[in-house]
Amino acid sequence: MVSKDKRESMKIVPPGKKKCVWMEAGVVSYKLCDNNYDCSTCVYDHAMQVKVARQKESVVVAASIDTPADKFTATWVDKMMQLPASQRKCRYMITGEVARKICPNAYECGSCSFDQMMQERLQVEALPVHARSDVGGFDLAEGVYYHEGHTWAKPEYGGRVRVGLDDFAQRLLGRLSRIELPNIGHEVKQGEVGFQVRKNGQAAQVLSPIDGIVSHINNELLDQPELANEFPYEKGWLFIIEPTKLRKNLKSLFYGEEASKYLSEEREKLFSLANEDLRIAADGGVSVDDISGELKGKNWAKFVKTFLKT
Amino acid sequence: MENPTYAYDETRHQYNSKVILKHLLQCCPHDTLSFMGVTRVDLFVPILKYVFGLAQIKGKCSLISLYRLLPQFYNQPPNRDLLMTRIEKTALHELGHCLGLTHCRDRRCVMHSSTRIEDTDFKQPEFCPTCFELFKWRLEKLSREGNYLMPKL
Ligand SMILES: [Zn+2]
Ligand SMILES: [Zn+2]
Repeated sequence: MVSKDKRESMKIVPPGKKKCVWMEAGVVSYKLCDNNYDCSTCVYDHAMQVKVARQKESVVVAASIDTPADKFTATWVDKMMQLPASQRKCRYMITGEVARKICPNAYECGSCSFDQMMQERLQVEALPVHARSDVGGFDLAEGVYYHEGHTWAKPEYGGRVRVGLDDFAQRLLGRLSRIELPNIGHEVKQGEVGFQVRKNGQAAQVLSPIDGIVSHINNELLDQPELANEFPYEKGWLFIIEPTKLRKNLKSLFYGEEASKYLSEEREKLFSLANEDLRIAADGGVSVDDISGELKGKNWAKFVKTFLKT
Repeated sequence: MENPTYAYDETRHQYNSKVILKHLLQCCPHDTLSFMGVTRVDLFVPILKYVFGLAQIKGKCSLISLYRLLPQFYNQPPNRDLLMTRIEKTALHELGHCLGLTHCRDRRCVMHSSTRIEDTDFKQPEFCPTCFELFKWRLEKLSREGNYLMPKL
């Protein structure tokens, strides 16, 4: 019992991380998903499929040979299919996108209409942010990667990445009058200007958090740019990218504790820049909702350039 | 401190803490090591909704407000001990700034930045070892330079 508990405790999946389907199915004891459940482009999935196929062959050819330690004779689909039909979790259930859904389709997602519907729906609707933290009055959504230019990137099911402005940028920019999003099919690059926002006739350029091709834009922002101010991590998302260098890009973004540390540094920097006339420190205070409105007589463009790194 | 009417802001219906700090700078006696104003009015500073206190970094002047330290502000019954602890923490924090200390990431350290009153209640009325070393060093340095009479730490 004790040793079992110990073994179980070593398999803890950290918050924000998800089990690989191979772990979920019980083929391997511990493996976390690092490809946003996009098995079609996953190196690990590919390697495992090959391994299983080879094992299956060798079992047929020489059944008496000693079995190697890492014997994998079944794919995750094989394993899942051995379960009673009522326990075959749909992969959207495994990822938490739906509360309960049993696979009716022998894991052939390519021909599954539920899969098609989910793919379409997930593209248009931003998923609710389940956890958020507060860094000196600025909202930080968890499970999201942050770029130093105050945009966020959220890898989603199917390998696409949703992009938005963070709460800091939204407050700094103030109520937006227009958001000029890139066109679908347009290529954006990490750290280069990806789109532009307008406020009272002034424009500010914003950097893209990752490399990729724009596959979808939030059309609601055309009529209601204020959504980006009101719900920066949800309804106010900007566009979706088909990433081209995801893994490399994610390494230069802030996540979790790092993101919170970066935000508190930016907060202190903003405060001292907004109060340049005196060398002061303030104790307390959530940031005002519209920082731009408080920078009376100060150069909005200069502030925006400094913090959006343009 | 008398009511600082000169610092009232019509649009925010609060008092601008920077204006009061500038006033303190003018009436601060020359032979003072640190000069702290205590007020009952609600303070703000540009870009923040409110402040518990404000201080010059490596300067003599600082300011604290009791407005948001009072339990009554949060619809709690009056509590003198709680209020005194909050004042102690806020005052020590501002004094730290005057001695050149900046915000500390340790949530229990008195130099941690309080965004909300919960942060103030969580932190201890004392410096973490690192901040304490810095505080002591700065204080000793000041005493050597200025010949002030130093409290024994
Ligand atoms: Zn402070
Ligand atoms: Zn400290």
